[in-house]
Amino acid sequence: MRLLLLGNEALAYGSLAAGVAVATAYPGTPSTEVLETLEEFKDRFVYWAANEKTAFELSYGAALAGARALVAMKHVGLNVASDPLHSAAYTGVEGGFLIITADDPWMYSSQNEQDTRWYGLQAYIPVLEPSNPVEAYKMAKDGFALSEKLKHPVMLRSVTRVSHVRAPVEIEHPAPPKWGRFTKDVKRFCLVPTNARERKKALLEKWEKIQDIASEYIQTEGSGDVFIVTSGVAYNYVKEAVRRLNIKAVIVKLGIVVPTPRKVADIVDKSAVVVEEGDPVLELQLRSLGISTRGKLNGYFPKFGELDINKVAMGIAKAVGVPYNPPQPPRPPLEPPPRPPVLCPGCPHMATFYILKVATAGLNPVWSGDIGCYSLGINMGQQDVITHMGSSVGLGSGITVAGRHFVVATIGDSTFYHAALPQLIDVVGKSIPILIVVMDNSYTAMTGGQPSPSRFLPAEKITEALGLPTFVIDPVDVKRSIEIVKKAVEIVKNGKPAVVISRRPCVLMAIRKARRLGVQIPKYQVDLEKCKSCGLCYNLLKCSAISKRPDGKAYVDPALCVGCGVCAEVCPFNAFKLEGRKEIWLEIWKQA
Amino acid sequence: METGIVIVGVGGQGVLTLARWLGEAAMAEGYDVRIAEVHGMSQRGGSVEVHVRIGREVYAPIVEEGGADFVIALEALEALRAYRYLKPNGILVVNKRIIQPPGKWYNLNDTLDAIRRSGIKTYIVPCYDIALELGSVLYENSVMLGFVSKLLGLSMPPSLDENNRKAFLRGMSLI
Repeated sequence: MRLLLLGNEALAYGSLAAGVAVATAYPGTPSTEVLETLEEFKDRFVYWAANEKTAFELSYGAALAGARALVAMKHVGLNVASDPLHSAAYTGVEGGFLIITADDPWMYSSQNEQDTRWYGLQAYIPVLEPSNPVEAYKMAKDGFALSEKLKHPVMLRSVTRVSHVRAPVEIEHPAPPKWGRFTKDVKRFCLVPTNARERKKALLEKWEKIQDIASEYIQTEGSGDVFIVTSGVAYNYVKEAVRRLNIKAVIVKLGIVVPTPRKVADIVDKSAVVVEEGDPVLELQLRSLGISTRGKLNGYFPKFGELDINKVAMGIAKAVGVPYNPPQPPRPPLEPPPRPPVLCPGCPHMATFYILKVATAGLNPVWSGDIGCYSLGINMGQQDVITHMGSSVGLGSGITVAGRHFVVATIGDSTFYHAALPQLIDVVGKSIPILIVVMDNSYTAMTGGQPSPSRFLPAEKITEALGLPTFVIDPVDVKRSIEIVKKAVEIVKNGKPAVVISRRPCVLMAIRKARRLGVQIPKYQVDLEKCKSCGLCYNLLKCSAISKRPDGKAYVDPALCVGCGVCAEVCPFNAFKLEGRKEIWLEIWKQA
Repeated sequence: METGIVIVGVGGQGVLTLARWLGEAAMAEGYDVRIAEVHGMSQRGGSVEVHVRIGREVYAPIVEEGGADFVIALEALEALRAYRYLKPNGILVVNKRIIQPPGKWYNLNDTLDAIRRSGIKTYIVPCYDIALELGSVLYENSVMLGFVSKLLGLSMPPSLDENNRKAFLRGMSLI
C-alpha cells in the first residue's frame, strides 16, 4: 500500500512491521505523531507517559524482558530521559529497543537546538539517521532487528524536515506484537559498581563491533574526485545541489553516523566535504579518523539553523572552487507585520492571565513561566522566564528565595505532572511563598491535544495532600475567579505558598466536540454605539479575535470568535452582544 | 516538470490540509512529492508556511527564497511575508481576506492593491466569501484548492467529502 505519509507516521508503520509491542512517549513537536499513529493499534501497549524518563523506563524495562519496544520524544525530552539512557547501553537489551528522537533545527517550536547525536556518542548507543519518510520507515523496521542482533539499544535521530515531511511511502501489514518474559541475570542487569565495571569493558568491545556494522549502512553514488560525506536530511540538499552546480562528485551517505564507520577513511581520498544537519558530530569523528574536512568546523556551512539547497550549494561551490549564483529573492511591496503565535480565541489561559493580572495588581509580580501554550502569555507581558519543562516552579522558587519578589509560577496540567511534582516537595519543605497556578485545560494542547494525567488525577488531590492551600477556579467566570485568586494572593503575601488551579478544557477540543454534536457555537459582536474605545478587550485581555479599528473601537472577527464571553465579562460598557445561545455550548466545553 | 509551491496562511485556516490535498492529487498523477509542514507553535494563530515540491524525482523538502513557482496565500498579509520565496516569473495566488495582526489595523483593499501593482503575476481569489456562501469558513481552503488545481493542471484529490467537493468545483470555475 502506497500512502502519502509524514516521516513520523512512517516511523510508526515501520515499527509495526517490526512487531513493536510496547510504545511510549511524551508529546513534543516534532516527535508527537509517532505515538499518535500507534495509538490506533489496540493489540499493543501504547501509552503517553508522565514524562520522557518514565516513558523511557517503561519501554526499556519491556525490552529488558525481551519485548520489542520503542520510546519517542523530542530532542530536549532526551535530557529528561538521559539518566536511564546511559545505563541502557551498559545492560543492553533482550528485545529490540528503538529510541526515537526528533531534533528541531531553527527551533520552530523549541527552546534550544540540541543535536541528540552527541548523546549517542556519550552513551555508546548507535544512531541511525534517515533522510526522508521512506528511509524513516525502513530504518525503524531495521532498527529493531539491529538492536536485537546487537542486544543493544539503538537510537534513531530524526529532524523536523524528516518527521514533518510527507512523501509517498510503500507500507506492509503490521507484524504481530512481540512480547517477552524477563530472565534474571544479576551480573548484567544490576549496575552496582563491581558489575558496572565489567559491563563497561564489555560495552567498549561491543562499540568496536558496532563501528564495523555501521559500514554496512554506507551508500556511495556518483563519480569524480570530489568526495561529499553526508547523512540524514542533508543528503537531500546535497543531491540537488550537486545537480544544480553540475559538478562530478562521489556522494558518501552514512546511515549510521554514531559511531562513524572507519571504512569511510578508505573510501574518501584523505579529504572530504562534510554536509550534516545540526552540530559537526560527523565532521569531528571524520577528523579523528584522519580525514581532512571542509564543513561546519571551518565555516563552509552555517553552524546553526537548518540547511536548504541554496546554503548547501553555496558551501559546496566554495569548497570545490566553482562559481554559483544564488537566486535573488524579490522584496514585497509592503513590509508584512509581525504575526507571533498567540493564544487561540477563547483559550481559557487568556482569561486566566487576565484574572491573575487583576488579582495581583500593584504587586509587580515576577512571572515565572513554563513550556506549553501558556508560554504565549509572553504577549501579555506575563512571562518573564521560560527555559525548560518545570522551570516555572523550579526557577520561580529560586527567584522567590533570592529576593523579596512576589512570584507567580504558571504551569500547564501536563507539565505539572511531567516536571513539577518533586519541586512541590521543595516548596513545602522550605515553605517557599510562591503562587503556583496550574492552568488545567485537560490536555497537552500545544502538541495537538494528547490526554493529560489531569483527566484521571485532578491536581488538587496532590496539592491538598501536600498541605498546600488550594483554590479551584473556572476562568470563564472572570469576576468570581478574581475574588478567589485574591485569597490565594493574600496567603502568599503572608509568607506561605498557595496554589490556584484554573480549570477549563482546551477550546479547540471543545469546538471539535460541538461540531460532532452539531451544536452551533455562539458569537459576540460589538455594539459600536456602546463601545467607548477604552481598549480593555484588545489591550489588556488581548483576545486574538478582537482588533482595534482605526477609530479605536473594538472589532470582533466573526470567523474567529468562539463565544467564550470573556470580553463581555470584562467590558465596562456592556458593548459586546451575543448572537446565538451560550448555555449548551459552555456545558459541552466544560465536558470536553 | 518540477514545481516548487509555498502555501501560507494563519494557524487554523487549513493550510496543512490544503498542502496535503495538493500532494495527494500530484501523487495520484504519478509524481514524486515532498511536503514540509511546520506543527506546534505556528498553529496557534501565528503564520503558517508549508512547502510542496512536485516532480519526477524530488529530494529536498523545502523551497528556498527566490525559488518558488507558486506562492498560495490564504491570507493577504501572509502573502507579503512569503513574497520573498517567488521566482521572478513566479505566480502569486491570494485569498481575498485579511486576518488582523496584533496591533495595527490593515485595510484589505489597500493591501491587495499594493500586491497587484507589485509586478508579479497575481490572482486574487474570493475564497472566504464563497466559503461563507457555502455555509462555513471551513471551506476556504477547498475553494482555493479548486482554483490552484486548475492553474496547476491537477485533478480533484480522492479524499474530499461532499461539501469540500462542492467548494472545490466553485474554486475551479473561477478561472
